Amino acid sequence: MARRLIVRLGLGLIAVLGVIVVTFFLEYVVPGDPARALAPRARDRATIEQIQKELHLDDPLVVQFGAFVDRLAHGDLGTSYIRGESVSSLLWSRLPTTAILAFAGVVVEVLLGTVLGTLAAMNRRVSAFVTSFNLVFLAIPAFTLGLGLLLIFGFWMGLVPVTGGFGPRELILPALSLGLMGAPWYAQIVRDQMSDSLSSAYTRTAVAKGVSDRRILLRHSARNVASPVLTMIGMDLGLYLSGVVVVETVFGWPGIGQLAVNSLQQLDRPVVMGTVIVGAVAVIAFNLVADLLRMVVDPRARTEEGA
Amino acid sequence: MAGTVAGVSGLGRAPGTPGEAERRSLRELPPSLLLGVALLALIGCFAVAAPLLGDPTRIDLQHALTPSGLPLPVLSPSHLLGTDSLGRDILARLANGARVSLTVALVANVMSIALGALVGIAAGYYGKATEAVLLRFADIGLALPATLFALVLASLLPSGVMRVIVIITVLFWAYPARLVYGEVLRLRQRPFVDAAVAAGVPGRTIMRRHVLPHLTPMLLSYAPLNAAAAVGFEATLSFLGAGINPPTPSWGNMISEGEGAITYAPHLLVAPALMIMLTILSFLLIGEGLKRLNPELARVSWLGA
Repeated sequence: MARRLIVRLGLGLIAVLGVIVVTFFLEYVVPGDPARALAPRARDRATIEQIQKELHLDDPLVVQFGAFVDRLAHGDLGTSYIRGESVSSLLWSRLPTTAILAFAGVVVEVLLGTVLGTLAAMNRRVSAFVTSFNLVFLAIPAFTLGLGLLLIFGFWMGLVPVTGGFGPRELILPALSLGLMGAPWYAQIVRDQMSDSLSSAYTRTAVAKGVSDRRILLRHSARNVASPVLTMIGMDLGLYLSGVVVVETVFGWPGIGQLAVNSLQQLDRPVVMGTVIVGAVAVIAFNLVADLLRMVVDPRARTEEGA
Repeated sequence: MAGTVAGVSGLGRAPGTPGEAERRSLRELPPSLLLGVALLALIGCFAVAAPLLGDPTRIDLQHALTPSGLPLPVLSPSHLLGTDSLGRDILARLANGARVSLTVALVANVMSIALGALVGIAAGYYGKATEAVLLRFADIGLALPATLFALVLASLLPSGVMRVIVIITVLFWAYPARLVYGEVLRLRQRPFVDAAVAAGVPGRTIMRRHVLPHLTPMLLSYAPLNAAAAVGFEATLSFLGAGINPPTPSWGNMISEGEGAITYAPHLLVAPALMIMLTILSFLLIGEGLKRLNPELARVSWLGA
């Protein structure tokens, strides 16, 4: 188990390094000179060159990359060209906003998916309904669902504000969007695992022993369902924390995703790179945490062979 | 289509006379598969008929939609679905958007799966260093924040269908690569591979002649799911201005252009949104149907985007 953990950790680190390399070189070839973006009215070459020197934009690519990795190793993601703040403090200031949305989204999708999946495993009619529910919500891209909810609950019914921003009332629709998009995955897996478990020999034995339905569901079936659900929660948290770009853009939720999109438009290279790297780290880290939790809940996961 | 389907379902079945097998399998086909194919065929006809519906980029300010709702020429004979704020015919724009979506569903889909299959086979068959390097690339591909990375890539490429195809290929190959890799590992244990190795067949030939055919059912059932994801991602990119930019119509950019009219002309958003949903739905139904045909393929799931 320890060996498996070390292997997973090592592979994660390699992937993070790969992401750093890819992001750096990709951002470097993005057209547009940040020095010109910073001083759009600067007519004389001297000003531009001055800015380029200050930002080390005139150094050779390899030197820039070396400096970048060196700073990263010291936990420094660089300084925003436009905002003048350090990238890490910018990301930190946006993290709570994104974290609230990510957490709310996961809660909605897990609740909705587990309830639908469990009911579907026990009842044929519900199962048919869940199949259609899944197909419909898998078929709607995030931005379409977001705009649809905004149109119905915001513009037509006037239940929620349509202007965007940060607040409990503003959270409802983005969280619902994430929840409705994620729920099909959970409903599907919970239904499959649950019906496997309910038709298994150990459930039959428990019924024969006279164990109550409630206890069978909670003690025997729930544990078997928990393992894949935990994996998915880990994946989703990582994914959402890296900035739910589309949902944040549609609803004007001021999180990391929105920051990244704005920075991309302003050629604010360090912020974009910082977000991509932190996002990839979040995905990898949460997958690892989910794996660990799975080993705690499900003894079978402990014996699986590495990676 | 029936031929392909019979091929998928024919895994464990002895081949009968072709005509008989096809007639039987058609009747046995799951309803979701038939429904999906029918829906996709309708959308395909709509896309093919696009040139008959007029120029999607012709600006006609006299017949343009205004905030007061007038003239709102929905269901008028010249503009069945009305016009947008520049007086362009919505039906013609929808049909041309269908061309974009179906092109992406075909080309980007095939390219990402082909790349993924290539990587997966090479990693699974060669093992050792090749395997390690290729799998690390797949790890990177799966860890990248997709939308954000797509936006960075988009800023490097000129607007158009090619841009969308490149982005989707770059972002979508890693998952099928992992699927194929797992399957190749399983296939390598089978005696026919040992037999081929013992007979002195070169590795490349073994992969092409012996391993690849066994992957076909899996790849075929993954393709509709991948197509569904590709259509959704194209719409998202175009909505964010990172895919196909106006004036060329695509469902995603029609929605983003219609956003301003959300209060007085919601059909500007609803019509392309419905098209996106129906197209993705048709692919999902086909995927669902293929899974019913061959329960062995049920483990082929969809990463989603």
